Amino acid sequence: MGAIDIVKTAYIKQLMSTNLREDGRGFNDSRDIKITTGILQNAEGSAQVDIGSTRVLAGVKLDLGEPMEDTPNEGTVAMSADLLPLASADFEMGPPSPEAIELARVVDRGIRAGKCVDMASLFLEEGKAWNVFVDIYVLNYDGNLFDASEIAAMSALLNTKVPEYVDGKVVREKRIKALKIDNIVTSVTVANVADKILIDPTGGEEEAADARLTIATDGKYVRAMQKGLGGSFTQKEILDAAEAALNRHGALKQMIEKTR
Amino acid sequence: MQEVIYPGDLLSETPIRAPNSYIENGKTYSMVLGFKDSSGTGIIPFEGGWTPKVEETVIGVISSERNNVYEVDLGSHYRSLIIGGKYERFSFRLGDIVEATVKDIEDGRTIILSYPKALQGGTVISIKPSKIPRLIGKNNTMINQISQGTSSKISVGMNGMVWIKDGNIALATAAILRIEEEAHVSGLTGRIKEMVEKR
Amino acid sequence: MASKANKPELIVNGKRLDGRDFNQLRPIKIEANVLKNATGSAYLEWGNNKVLAAVYGPVEAQPKHMADPSKAIIKCRYSMAPFSSLSEHNRSGPNRRATEISKVTKEVFEKVLMLNEFPGSQINIFIEILQSDGGTRAAGITAASVALASSGLHMRDLVYAVSVGKIGEHLVLDLDMIEDNYSDSDMPMAISPRNGEVLLLQMDGEYTKDELERAFKMAADAGKEIGNVQRNALKSIYENIDSKYKGE
Repeated sequence: MGAIDIVKTAYIKQLMSTNLREDGRGFNDSRDIKITTGILQNAEGSAQVDIGSTRVLAGVKLDLGEPMEDTPNEGTVAMSADLLPLASADFEMGPPSPEAIELARVVDRGIRAGKCVDMASLFLEEGKAWNVFVDIYVLNYDGNLFDASEIAAMSALLNTKVPEYVDGKVVREKRIKALKIDNIVTSVTVANVADKILIDPTGGEEEAADARLTIATDGKYVRAMQKGLGGSFTQKEILDAAEAALNRHGALKQMIEKTR
Repeated sequence: MQEVIYPGDLLSETPIRAPNSYIENGKTYSMVLGFKDSSGTGIIPFEGGWTPKVEETVIGVISSERNNVYEVDLGSHYRSLIIGGKYERFSFRLGDIVEATVKDIEDGRTIILSYPKALQGGTVISIKPSKIPRLIGKNNTMINQISQGTSSKISVGMNGMVWIKDGNIALATAAILRIEEEAHVSGLTGRIKEMVEKR
Repeated sequence: MASKANKPELIVNGKRLDGRDFNQLRPIKIEANVLKNATGSAYLEWGNNKVLAAVYGPVEAQPKHMADPSKAIIKCRYSMAPFSSLSEHNRSGPNRRATEISKVTKEVFEKVLMLNEFPGSQINIFIEILQSDGGTRAAGITAASVALASSGLHMRDLVYAVSVGKIGEHLVLDLDMIEDNYSDSDMPMAISPRNGEVLLLQMDGEYTKDELERAFKMAADAGKEIGNVQRNALKSIYENIDSKYKGE
């Protein structure tokens, strides 16, 4: 953390003590969310999500592959995330950072636990199945990558069209049907900053945060959770956040479905 | 709209020393994107990093201390130092916000600062240094307007760092960021005035 | 290059597969200043290529022993997104091809930027290919040039890049993916339009000296068109500027 960040962090914490956020939002207010789908044509599915000035792009590729040994009648889904160096002066070139890997795994867990992708629909024939790759590209960072990435991955999957498969070959140019999606998972991330809980933290707020909590739900069940950073949450704070995530799911789902 | 000049545009068939231009094979070319200045040869750039000038005011944050020599983070690649002497001892702490004057620039990469003064409390925000003149405004009109409208104390460093304390800091910050965003759009003073006065 | 066995007919009735003339560029669109955090940035669509370029800096050189006390150093990363091609998913991260392109792209801008102004510092140039359809290095350099100009860094020229390939006996401008895969020769170039200096030059295949000369001419003509798109992108950031710009 640079010297200037120390000053900004101290300021954000001081603001918290007077119940204010740096951009004037209430603690339970999220920034505006914008979803754009189908922006890439070579990818089988794509979506860009803006939350404030955080911008995340997700691309989906379908490759012909094999089922896993223990699920011979299903395809596979693999999730990865890149914190691109062009997204922030603090992101570095080189192999995926622990933060990028955590991001991909958390998004993956929510979508997997929510049984969002119909895995059986990815089966093609004996020994052949679709391998679905979801790659999350962080283009500009200003906090809350988890929610932005969850929405981007979900929207890109909903946007995905499956190529034609004939005589053991993939015809990429011909996309014949939508990927079968059975459930929609969205997440809500909260941060603990100076013992106050706030929704949808900015980059500055994440810098100032002691702890971060992401809760992914499908509206009925909590599907995945991840606590990050060195601090902690009380059990009540976690239950409150779960309630907020469950309550907010409907609006987010509607937004995602509208732009598919 | 005035004619826009792009990097590499020929400004003169003869060698002329003018701001943001360069001379090659006896001809003068632009090295930035911008407008021609009143001389007709120099260019006023749209964007630009900060190049320190002696006697300029800067704002930064103390980032290290050793033997009465303080390093200051000015949010730029320049190494910036406050050097205490036998009779001049400072007692800054890490994370202190300081305002100081550029005394000297050594090897083009190290800035020596003088007259450092700690700014107590408040916060700093950084904007593009090229927008600082617009933030200050002619005869300080713009910055005074924000300061009065928000009841905030504001101090501006030419390096792009702005210190804000007291009053409605969130509103002052929003106004400053808006100036950074809209520096080139006409009628800005009026819009900022409306913004800070309507609350 | 792909197998020549099932090579499609790339030129039919004097036109290319996508209907272009031999010396015709694909449509190019550029938007400057698209990323909030970057010092400068640009988004470019060139045919079906989609490219994002961003510039950060000057920043302190890292690691410190890499710093050059006489000038700024450039770090450049050209990278293709795992979902960028119509064929299979690519593993993310730089491969040998991307590493080479990063290097030659860096060398283009070493000549263009006024590096001696910022001794000891570092300028980062990032090029992300979000969608590829042939000619991505030229697209990346053309986009990075706009990103650099929008950052305000001092530079000698607004560089552009384009490739001239050869299909049979014909020189053709700006190969797309299919042409690139099956053509006989390709020559990407980055050029300083101010004086025609060549800042990047790669080639494989076969060109006579006369063909090289004609290829340079084709590239120069294309440069005028590309330059117009670059300049319009930069201008439109400031379209609203009027005479009050200099102060109230």
